[in-house]
Amino acid sequence: MAKTRCLDPVVLNLWHPLGALVELPVDTVVDTVLLEERLSLAVGLGREVAVWRSCPDFVAGDKIDVASVSKSLPAKVAFGYLWASLGSPPDELFPIPEYEETDRRRLNAATFGVNVSAPRAIENFLDMGHFPYVHTDILGVEPHTEVKEYDVDISVERDEILATRCRFFQPLASSASETGAEVEYIFRVPHPYCSVLYKSSPVNDARYDVIAVFMQPLSQESVRAHMMLCILDEDNEDKVIKRFQQTIFGQDKPILENQFPKRLPLDPRAETPIRADKSAIAYRRWLSQKDVRYGVIPASY
Amino acid sequence: MLEDVRTRWHPIAATDDLPLRHVFHGQLLGREFAVWRADDGYVNVWENRCLHRGVRLSIGINDGRELKCQYHGWRYSNRTAGCTYIPAHPADAPARTITNRSFQAVERYGLVWSSEDPRGDLPVVEGIGEDDLLVLRAIPVNASAELVAQRLQSYRFQPNSEIAGTGTNIELVAATEAAVALRSCQGRAETLGVFFVQPVDSGRSVIRGVLSGRPNDAQLTAVLRYHNEALSKLREDLEREAAALPVPVPIEPIFERVSEELASLPELDSRGRKAAIRVQVARKWQTADGIMAFELRPIRGLLPTFQPGAHIDVHLPNGLVRQYSLTNGPGETDRFTIGVKLDPASRGGSQCLHDSVREGDVLAISEPRNNFPLRRDALKTIFVAGGIGVTPLLAMAQTLNNQSLAYELHYFAQNEQQLAFSECRQALGNAVMPHLGLSPSDTVNELRRLLSPYLPDTQLYICGPNPMLESTRSLAAEAGWPEAAVHFEYFKNTNVIDDSSSFEVALARSCLTIKVGAGQSILEAMRDAGVDLPSSCEQGACGTCLATVIEGEPDHQDVYLSPSERASGTKIMTCVSRSKSARLVIDA
Amino acid sequence: MIKLYDYELSGNCYKLRLLMSILGVDYKTVPVDFYPGREHKSEWFLKLNPLGQLPVVDDDGLVLRDAQAILVYLAAKYDAAGTWYPRDNPELLGEISQWLAFADGITSTASAARLHDALFYDFDINTARAGAHRLFRILDEHLWFGERQERQWICSAKQPTIADIACFPYIMLSEEGGISRQDYPAIRRWCDRIKRINGFIVMSGVFPAGPAKAA
Ligand SMILES: N[C@@H](CCC(=O)N[C@@H](CS)C(=O)NCC(=O)O)C(=O)O
Ligand code: FES
Ligand SMILES: [Fe+2]
Repeated sequence: MAKTRCLDPVVLNLWHPLGALVELPVDTVVDTVLLEERLSLAVGLGREVAVWRSCPDFVAGDKIDVASVSKSLPAKVAFGYLWASLGSPPDELFPIPEYEETDRRRLNAATFGVNVSAPRAIENFLDMGHFPYVHTDILGVEPHTEVKEYDVDISVERDEILATRCRFFQPLASSASETGAEVEYIFRVPHPYCSVLYKSSPVNDARYDVIAVFMQPLSQESVRAHMMLCILDEDNEDKVIKRFQQTIFGQDKPILENQFPKRLPLDPRAETPIRADKSAIAYRRWLSQKDVRYGVIPASY
Repeated sequence: MLEDVRTRWHPIAATDDLPLRHVFHGQLLGREFAVWRADDGYVNVWENRCLHRGVRLSIGINDGRELKCQYHGWRYSNRTAGCTYIPAHPADAPARTITNRSFQAVERYGLVWSSEDPRGDLPVVEGIGEDDLLVLRAIPVNASAELVAQRLQSYRFQPNSEIAGTGTNIELVAATEAAVALRSCQGRAETLGVFFVQPVDSGRSVIRGVLSGRPNDAQLTAVLRYHNEALSKLREDLEREAAALPVPVPIEPIFERVSEELASLPELDSRGRKAAIRVQVARKWQTADGIMAFELRPIRGLLPTFQPGAHIDVHLPNGLVRQYSLTNGPGETDRFTIGVKLDPASRGGSQCLHDSVREGDVLAISEPRNNFPLRRDALKTIFVAGGIGVTPLLAMAQTLNNQSLAYELHYFAQNEQQLAFSECRQALGNAVMPHLGLSPSDTVNELRRLLSPYLPDTQLYICGPNPMLESTRSLAAEAGWPEAAVHFEYFKNTNVIDDSSSFEVALARSCLTIKVGAGQSILEAMRDAGVDLPSSCEQGACGTCLATVIEGEPDHQDVYLSPSERASGTKIMTCVSRSKSARLVIDA
Repeated sequence: MIKLYDYELSGNCYKLRLLMSILGVDYKTVPVDFYPGREHKSEWFLKLNPLGQLPVVDDDGLVLRDAQAILVYLAAKYDAAGTWYPRDNPELLGEISQWLAFADGITSTASAARLHDALFYDFDINTARAGAHRLFRILDEHLWFGERQERQWICSAKQPTIADIACFPYIMLSEEGGISRQDYPAIRRWCDRIKRINGFIVMSGVFPAGPAKAA
């Protein structure tokens, strides 16, 4: 195996997202970076994919027959994205059953570059306390700042973090309500660099909108954040839905880029958690237990 | 070498860099600072990192009294850098020990000086008078401080009054790795220029020049421009030179770890009635009929962080210990102000403060404790004060006022002369509404009017004499206020305590079972057994000695717990309450 | 009503939202999927603006492109007090135009760096950042001397002008392109002043300021 800069076997053996399929030109070489490694990739008309360490034979923009790539790294398509691995990944990626429901809108809201570690970005995704301050008038508004008690579990059979009974007061909970209301969330962290949230759907009481972030680690301190939407909405144009999600993410971005240190400290005494951070505490512990080292500052004892 | 540099004072900003309501982004030897001036003039130099999730505080908001983090709105107090409010948990009082790392700051020569670990005093610069100097525009340079200081030695400039001329005589007065002093003389004109080099990081510095003598207004800008141009030129050369050198590795600041207890967020652990702090009575004045105000200032160092609603124990010269609420607004951390009403039935506490304690006296006080925390997530907050009960509510009102949150403070008293703290009330304006000279029945009618109808997201805080407190609570209940929205603080517990029972208490965490006999409190029995618990009023009013009940049936005799807290059977005030069951298991 | 062809994360579009909010001008937005959709290069949009750039404004049939040009138009037409673009003050108009051009320079450096880091545009990042720092040094110096002459804004008027609006967004967003403002204290103070203008609004990536001290 070629020499890699990332020496963390846990992270090397994971599946990592590289891009949204709909945004990739067919039969064309595209360059990207994963774990400080230059990679090239291509997608065929029938969604067959290939990913390889960049080499001078094929440069970005070249036309290529995907089937002709002999030395492809492990690669697959899931949730509308191309995933690859620099090590030996498990057969399956974590499931998102809702993705198969045919009445849902499924799209990539955007892929943004952010100068922060993947775990910091995941932790932000799990956090409700910042809604009134960072997403003012959209996901929260002062003085409704309380993070009510919720439950966090590490699901044994799935090896993922699950936060349930999460509730937060939202001024624009739905287009129908004027007064604001409590919105319910469920958060999953099924992968060290990916998270999926379920949010009560404004159009159907019994179902949830699903929003996921998949972090592509470019380096320990920079990522491409892919945002997947899988939601119940029959009225709005794609671009309106994307605009909403991009607005939200654009608000988090300067926070993430002003966090210090950029890698997530796993030492429980590096920062000060409060009860509202239960899911973040569980996440940090889970990363420690898995012995994830890339993008974090491991606890030293 | 680096150690040596760290213990020295360095300029980190110019005084002009700190206008009110601004946060300056500074850096010294790789360590970033959030630097801000509070409305009272105090300069805060803090680690540029919120203790919560590491967000830079230099992007936060300076509201004049506190610095608010942009991420989750945590508030840190002027001076102490202690966290005063965590919006995600509005009902809790944050542990006082959540305190950001702060660094000393001194303003001198038009500059703000600081140091990671200062040894000794700020350097005195001969020939620069504090009132007769000119601070030049700071020039950040992408080059090491060492190189900058070296090249500054050959900086050339004309004296202030001769900037159009040439051929001045330059004398190198002093040169260190931190500063270069040059004297420029031409004829009788002479200007001393001291150029401090602030080591920002291994490859970055700031030149902060100060000249002796302030030119007259007509020349001022010309002199500033003259040096700005010349130093910018020097910077160009320096950066060209530095660019050819290998890029130095940035200095990695070491962040202090937070304390063990904070990492797991336990309860406070200040034990017993400790009088840890000495203060001096800086001012004593009559603030209303029968009410004396005391302004207490620290003898040394800073006072600890407090939150609105907090009280302190004051240890009196006659040996008594009394509790008084702080009336201070947010960020007023240079002093604690309390109001003391002369109680005719005084057992000697208020009497002693009124008659014997004078300005200049030293008193011992406890750390502030907050058992009457203020929520700030209400759409509107109503305060009901009776007489001296106004003190904690004034602190709360100032807090909401500072955050532009809606509130009303209803202040009941017999007459105008009985209203205390007029300056503070004036600053709050129309939100303070006195209700004067009402008979008991008119008071009830007025309260009923004020409390109805109950509107959701409203909170009520009551403090006053017991009868008024009781009737306000029942009026609120009548008007439909949920118990959780009604907060109160009793001055004292007037219940007659029945301490005739005896029972057994198992201390779960200490693995100890103790006997509590008649005439003895649980608290006393615990202390006898060597298990300490914080306490303050020791009469079941202040809430400090609260313990969690795991098993058994408490016999409540306090006035602190709400009816539902009592009914839940999970909490007990150990100073007065007892057990109905033969055995009580508590988490201690 | 004014129609603004708009992308939320565009600093150039934000210039217009900001001025219209300050002036209290009503407008509606037409969202353009700039990223990832590249709708500004679509056929329908190129008809509107052959340069394929945002923003574009359509005011009752008058179609204008270029943020700075539109700022001029909006202020000249809708600012009743005439302070944002004082039409009868040639000296000031000269100054404003000079700084509007400077703002375009900020777009081609600081904004380019941000597009590189956040949206993966193929720009030379070092050139973009160095260019932004060069401009920021010039502006910081200008503002620092302004403070000494009681000039609070970029141009020498008592009130802010559209030059301030034009320079503000990509300075505020510069950190997203890896351009720190730590070395520009006068710029940082000026940013606070802008945020305290009546009618100020934020965009994603820009935080509001707290209230100024009441006089
Ligand atoms: N000078 C123009 C520049 C506008 C500009 O750069 N717009 C960006 C979006 S913020 C854009 O549309 N860029 C696409 C391109 O230039 O191809 C203005 O100020 O409006
Ligand atoms: S990071 Fe500052 S409040 Fe959470
Ligand atoms: Fe967020």
